[in-house]
Amino acid sequence: MALGRETKLDGVTLVVDPAEAAGAFADPALAAVRVGWASPGEPVRLVKILDAVEPRTKGPGGGGIFPGFLGPALPQGTGTTTVVAGVAVVVAGHLPRAQEAVADMAGPAAELSPLGSTHNLVVEFTPAAGAPWEAVDAALRRGALALAARLAETALDAEPEAVATHPGAGDDDGADPSLPRVGAVTNLQTQGAFKDVFVYGSSFAGSMPYLLDANELDDGAVVSGQFGHPSLKNPTWVHQNHPVAAALRARHGTDLAFAGVIVCPEPVDQAGKALVSAAAARVAAAAGWHGAVVTKEGGGNADADMALKMDELEALGLSAVGLFAEMAGADGTGPSLVVPPERATAMASTGNYDQRLSLPAMERALGGDTLALVGRPAVDAVELPAAVLFASLSPLGWGRLTCGESVPV
Amino acid sequence: MTAPEGRSVGAASVTVRVVHYLNQFFAGAGGEDAAGSPPARHDGPVGPGRRLAQLLGDGFEVVATVSCGDDWAATTPGAADAIVDLAAEAAPDVVVAGPAFTSGRYGLACARVVAAAAARGLPAVASMHEDNPGLDEAGAVPVVASGPVARHMAASLDALAPAVVAVAAGQPVVEHRIGKVPRVAKLSRYNAAERAVHLLLARLHGDTAATEVPLPRFDSVTPAAPVADPGHALVALVTEGGLVPDANPDQLESARATKWLRYGFDDHGRGLAPGRYRSVHGGFSTVAANEDPNRIVPLDAARRLVDQGAIGRLHGEWLVTTGNGTSVGNARRFGVEWAGELRRLGVQAALLTAT
Repeated sequence: MALGRETKLDGVTLVVDPAEAAGAFADPALAAVRVGWASPGEPVRLVKILDAVEPRTKGPGGGGIFPGFLGPALPQGTGTTTVVAGVAVVVAGHLPRAQEAVADMAGPAAELSPLGSTHNLVVEFTPAAGAPWEAVDAALRRGALALAARLAETALDAEPEAVATHPGAGDDDGADPSLPRVGAVTNLQTQGAFKDVFVYGSSFAGSMPYLLDANELDDGAVVSGQFGHPSLKNPTWVHQNHPVAAALRARHGTDLAFAGVIVCPEPVDQAGKALVSAAAARVAAAAGWHGAVVTKEGGGNADADMALKMDELEALGLSAVGLFAEMAGADGTGPSLVVPPERATAMASTGNYDQRLSLPAMERALGGDTLALVGRPAVDAVELPAAVLFASLSPLGWGRLTCGESVPV
Repeated sequence: MTAPEGRSVGAASVTVRVVHYLNQFFAGAGGEDAAGSPPARHDGPVGPGRRLAQLLGDGFEVVATVSCGDDWAATTPGAADAIVDLAAEAAPDVVVAGPAFTSGRYGLACARVVAAAAARGLPAVASMHEDNPGLDEAGAVPVVASGPVARHMAASLDALAPAVVAVAAGQPVVEHRIGKVPRVAKLSRYNAAERAVHLLLARLHGDTAATEVPLPRFDSVTPAAPVADPGHALVALVTEGGLVPDANPDQLESARATKWLRYGFDDHGRGLAPGRYRSVHGGFSTVAANEDPNRIVPLDAARRLVDQGAIGRLHGEWLVTTGNGTSVGNARRFGVEWAGELRRLGVQAALLTAT
């Protein structure tokens, strides 16, 4: 990636005109935006990260990508989607309720965050005087999606490095009917402004579970506006590259038949959690699934959404496995889960929320000058818990962190 | 901390210095009548420490014994640190505590002493029965099993001595180990989604035991007996809702709290005045709480209850932390400290508001 006078793909280098990039964020709620970039291996720290989006498009002007935002809220998941892999549009700065998320481009933390291995176009912003924070948030989201689509447009005429073909709704999926039908049940955190997730452009709060084709995720049907729990959030970039869908696709036709993704809200009250969990299990059973991988977003009460769904699935005779980040304390001796399942006991670990990490000093920072968490310059060497590293304990299963038992001295 | 590698039992050149912790009873200072006695240091081994010294052999010397009354050790804030301060005066290479068998206060003290020693970089090991309620307080520090009661002293010391040797040599304690085994983060070759799919296939094929995360065991709390005479009780308001003065002067964390704080009620008005307080809790929308801070710390309702005679008096301050991503270990410590502090103040009941 490089900044230049014209936005274009030059071989394998994505050249970005910063003025054009800033233009994607033209909105009365924003006084100014600044564009910088950071590539893997550079001594750069990203702070106050809000969201990250992978450049994708389905044609000039977007062609329907990010339905409900860039295009009309009409079903997607068919046709050709162009992806500029290895790049992320990152929005960073202060919003209310956002908990500070950090990613390093070099050093030991780089491999723990998705942004440590992408070339990141980082957009910093100044809100317009008097603009409501909700309007600032909406303008940033529209801008990031528009910029991501624009960057992908540079690749529309390029020879692709790789092509993947996925069967869509109504297609013969080619799988042996004797293979178990399995899918993903993906909970989306829905707790109001700044802690919300959008499906086809609308807040998913108050919705019932909904069965999506994974191809719809490829086209940006799920977009994040959830800025709490830095390590336990699912940024748009990770929804676009849904790791469980990818793992199921990789084995489709071999030892399983991939049967789709059920997206669910995470209601804020126990009755709502119970209702949505039972409904999700019924959708899975009605769709003929034999098993599901259940994922969450956020900590604490989000464990209850997980445990309830896993148990409801097992009660209907489906096998369920959950992805949990452990909250075992800095010394690893606390109970790992806030709310464990009772029937479904198979869980994959995404690491320990409380693990302490020593981050070395960096040469520059993007997203802010200070690490508000510790009240120090953003470039300083600092010890932080894994909890604040952007998507490091990815509830969607992006990361390689896990936990094991160890007998210390 | 440098592990004392190269030392071995019987090596004449270097002697491993051991300090042993005992309660008042095993130190020979008395029974329940001496349970309130403060820590004291004695030269050399005392009581069961003499047998421990024999079992450890020539390369080891029990250079001092620290004793303390069970009540003092279990209820005095900072007791474990005070005990380790005394132990440290004897320049130990290893701190050993117990055996405490199933004695609750003694077990709690032993667990806290080895945890406090380890926190200072001193190798440490404790001995108690696996049903001892103090066991979890040792955290990641090794604890080896003792018998249930003191007549199992000989066998318990036989199990403890090799653990002392292992800890002194910087080796893991495996034999007879009880208590928590820490969860340690590591990187897998596979991402978590791939591992979850692998587990799902195993489960679909009948392996219902496979998991990466063992099910946790949670404590169950026996509710206290009802307050006998609430009309005369002193009641305190406590909360995990993160409500602090508006400027957050003591920088209470919005998540993963490491401390609790206390703030006095002013005598003006009927409740907490809007605009002067805010919740820093990062786990819920604080808009409604900030518009009316009494919904987190219900001073208005509590003062009405006092007026009605339903409760006697209100304690003049609230205790507060943030219960958002807070580790169980810290939460347990806050609970112990709150209970001790409220009891010291003569409070008979506390109203805990949770969010």
